[in-house]
Amino acid sequence: MNGSTAPPVGQNAPLLVIEDSDEDFEAMQRFLKLAPVVIPLQRCINGEQALAFLDRTGRYTDPHLAPRPSLIVLDLNLPKTDGREVLKRIKQNESLQTIPVVIFTTSNNPKDMEICYRYGIKNYIVKPIDFGQLKRNMQTLVDYWLEVTTLTKNQEG
Amino acid sequence: MSEQTVDLTNCDREPIHIPGSIQPHGVLLVLLPDSLEIIQVSDNTQELIDRQPQDLLGKPLSSLFKAKQIAAIRQCLAEDFENVNPLDLGIKCQNKSRRFDGIVYQRENLVLLELERKSSKSKSDFLYFYQQVKGVVTKIQQAPTLREMCQTVAKEMRKITGFERIMIYQFDAEGSGIVIAEDTDLETPYLNLRYPASDIPKQARQLYTHNWLRLIPDRNYQPVKLIPSENPITGQPLDLSLSGLRSVSPIHLEYLQNMGVRASMSISLIQERQLWGLIACHHSSPKHLTYGVRNICEFIGQVMSLELATKEKAEDLDYKMTLKSLQTSFIESLSQSKSLLDGLVKLKPSLPSLVNGTGAVVCFGDRYIAIGQTPPEAALLDLLNWLKPLLQQDLFHTQCLSKVYPPAESFKAIASGLLALEISKFHRYYILWFRPEVLQTVSWAGKPNKPVIETTDGTGRLSPRKSFELWREEVTGCSLPWKPCEIEAVAELRSLMVGVVLRQSDELASMNIELRRSNDELDSFAYIASHDLKEPLRGIHNYANFLMEDHATELPEEGVRKLQTLVRLTQYMEDLLNSLLQFSRLGRAELLLKSVNLQDLVQQVIATLTITRPQDSLEFRLPRSLPTIKGDQTQINELFTNLISNAIKYNDQPQKWVEIGWIKPEEEQKNSEPPTLLTFYVRDNGIGIAEEYLNKIFQIFRRLHGRDEFGGGTGAGLTIARKIVERHGGSMWVESIPGRGSTFYFTLVGEDAK
Repeated sequence: MNGSTAPPVGQNAPLLVIEDSDEDFEAMQRFLKLAPVVIPLQRCINGEQALAFLDRTGRYTDPHLAPRPSLIVLDLNLPKTDGREVLKRIKQNESLQTIPVVIFTTSNNPKDMEICYRYGIKNYIVKPIDFGQLKRNMQTLVDYWLEVTTLTKNQEG
Repeated sequence: MSEQTVDLTNCDREPIHIPGSIQPHGVLLVLLPDSLEIIQVSDNTQELIDRQPQDLLGKPLSSLFKAKQIAAIRQCLAEDFENVNPLDLGIKCQNKSRRFDGIVYQRENLVLLELERKSSKSKSDFLYFYQQVKGVVTKIQQAPTLREMCQTVAKEMRKITGFERIMIYQFDAEGSGIVIAEDTDLETPYLNLRYPASDIPKQARQLYTHNWLRLIPDRNYQPVKLIPSENPITGQPLDLSLSGLRSVSPIHLEYLQNMGVRASMSISLIQERQLWGLIACHHSSPKHLTYGVRNICEFIGQVMSLELATKEKAEDLDYKMTLKSLQTSFIESLSQSKSLLDGLVKLKPSLPSLVNGTGAVVCFGDRYIAIGQTPPEAALLDLLNWLKPLLQQDLFHTQCLSKVYPPAESFKAIASGLLALEISKFHRYYILWFRPEVLQTVSWAGKPNKPVIETTDGTGRLSPRKSFELWREEVTGCSLPWKPCEIEAVAELRSLMVGVVLRQSDELASMNIELRRSNDELDSFAYIASHDLKEPLRGIHNYANFLMEDHATELPEEGVRKLQTLVRLTQYMEDLLNSLLQFSRLGRAELLLKSVNLQDLVQQVIATLTITRPQDSLEFRLPRSLPTIKGDQTQINELFTNLISNAIKYNDQPQKWVEIGWIKPEEEQKNSEPPTLLTFYVRDNGIGIAEEYLNKIFQIFRRLHGRDEFGGGTGAGLTIARKIVERHGGSMWVESIPGRGSTFYFTLVGEDAK
């Protein structure tokens, strides 16, 4: 499921959003579109799909269909394999563990926060019911993306 | 007497079954079993059967009796001789036939034949026996109580025998005999007198169970020796255990003499092979009874023995019925109560009466519930500890507690009788019943503990006491005895209670399962509140905002305002959901208890709260430095934050102040036990709370004001504050004067600052 907008297909690696709520994803999209550069978006709607995408299994065996993401935005409460499990698998996989992960979730449970930070996540954002806050959170996300893609480019260069 | 201590128990060693002589009212012939050759005789054959002993020894029995009678004797031996005796025997003496009652039996592989002279007018036929016995047996069976049966037997026995005094003895557990019935014309009654156990030595008791009847026609008899003195077959003195003629122990003769008795007869009363008592007959002059009459007496003794059990069971029948119905209603109401303790507390007043006690204590672990007259609570723990190892089948009883447990001396007046029941060793559930001391006078026939001891020729021969004068003993420290039916009632009560407890623990277990399930449901509810409800709410919030951003220009002002309200409501709803979530987490989260310095904590809370409202004119008062307590830092922080922010919020005074303080324990009663609960308070000069709302302010989402008045809020702050205090083992309450201010009090466990 390719949710990214049209080309120019950046040579940039995409931002992978693992999110089951269409409304939340639409809200994110709305703000990310406002970014100064085009951010290629890749969306998975549950844990299984995310793991297949990352492991390049199932329908993602073709590397072109499953490019390595530059940043992962992960919801914790997902149907079936939930976000906590996905995070664990990412961090246990040598080829994936360096990809920065931002948690974007409803859960404000301190236990969840502690576990996620232990796995070395970049940030833990509680989904706000506050439009202004949502805008600021999305700006943070854009900044991260710019940061990681610039770094990668510099390393490549 | 110097080397050997002599007391009445020496009687226990007297070999009374082998006296080597008999009483003179009959002749004893000892025969070889097959040939019936006479090998030993009593030295009174000349007087009674007109034959010299030497003329009889070595002769066959046929030298005395005709062939027909010999055949009858052999027949008797072949059968159950006890049921055939006596035989009607005749011996030719000086050309006249003398009639005898012949009693034949076997002992030590020898045949013993006793001959007693029949008086010419003696009636010994069956019809006579039947007539004598029939009426008595009917009366025995009809007697409603044990006492009345004994009284009847005494009376009838006197009529049949003509003895001057007939007494019925009953032996108690210690072996002393009590006269429970008497029939006599003599001046001094012996009724209710007690005879010490040592009056009837052990081996005499043994013989009483073998021989049901014992007659001494004349205490002043001349003992008749056996010839030869030792049995020629065994080389030992002849065992006369079964002999009715057996010579009497000299000590017993002296005993009779001291009592002024010339002739005596005793009939054993046997219950379950134990000597239950005796029918004792006394006469002041010589008195002989024929074997036939003695048979009647023995038969009456046997009938009476059979009836003992029935009569004892019937004893206190009404009382037993009362106990039973008390017990039934007790258990009924017990099974209807929520818990055993609950039930027992409810049934308090009737508990002592279950066993006719005057007081009872229910012990539930460390809790004691006393009903009626009981020992002081301080004494109960020691008593229980002493008692526990003594319980047999969960029961213990005594009527003289201070005798077995000396500390009970101090409360013997109210608790000399103790009946204890263990309901659960594990839970330490006990019920103790008490009975007061009853001063009793026991009347002894003579002083029981001071036997008169005479020493002759230094051997320490002993004689029984001379005086049977009434001797009264005051018995102290004893209650009325616990009746067997009362003890049974308690044992039964236990099994019934165990049933109730088991059923209740079943119910408790299923309630626990139910509780766990509803707790789990609460957990999933909290999850729904936190996630599933929030997601659509967030959608509404975001889409309302999209609408305003994208289409504001197309909408009239009114439409935009409505969208703004929609957005505000979603935010309010999120606040409510968060409060609910926090409250439900509070009940389940583990407390991380550590030392919390409240002085530091409150300063921080004040600093945090004032950052957001720097322009307010606000005064914080801390009259004295706050102590360190034991608590969960995060929750205690929340507690003070909620209370102090409320104090600021609900205040419309131009000069607001909040006072945070605590009441030092010495200002209250100092005797409170550790861990010390300290009382804190947060006081303000705010708007106060009307009295009718004081008990409502702690309800969740209960707001007394409009949503936007006093800075809004969800109305969960006080609910959460109180929950925190309760989880820390304290309580919270409020005092308020509307318009003047409120004071919220709460208690927390102080940390000993030593």
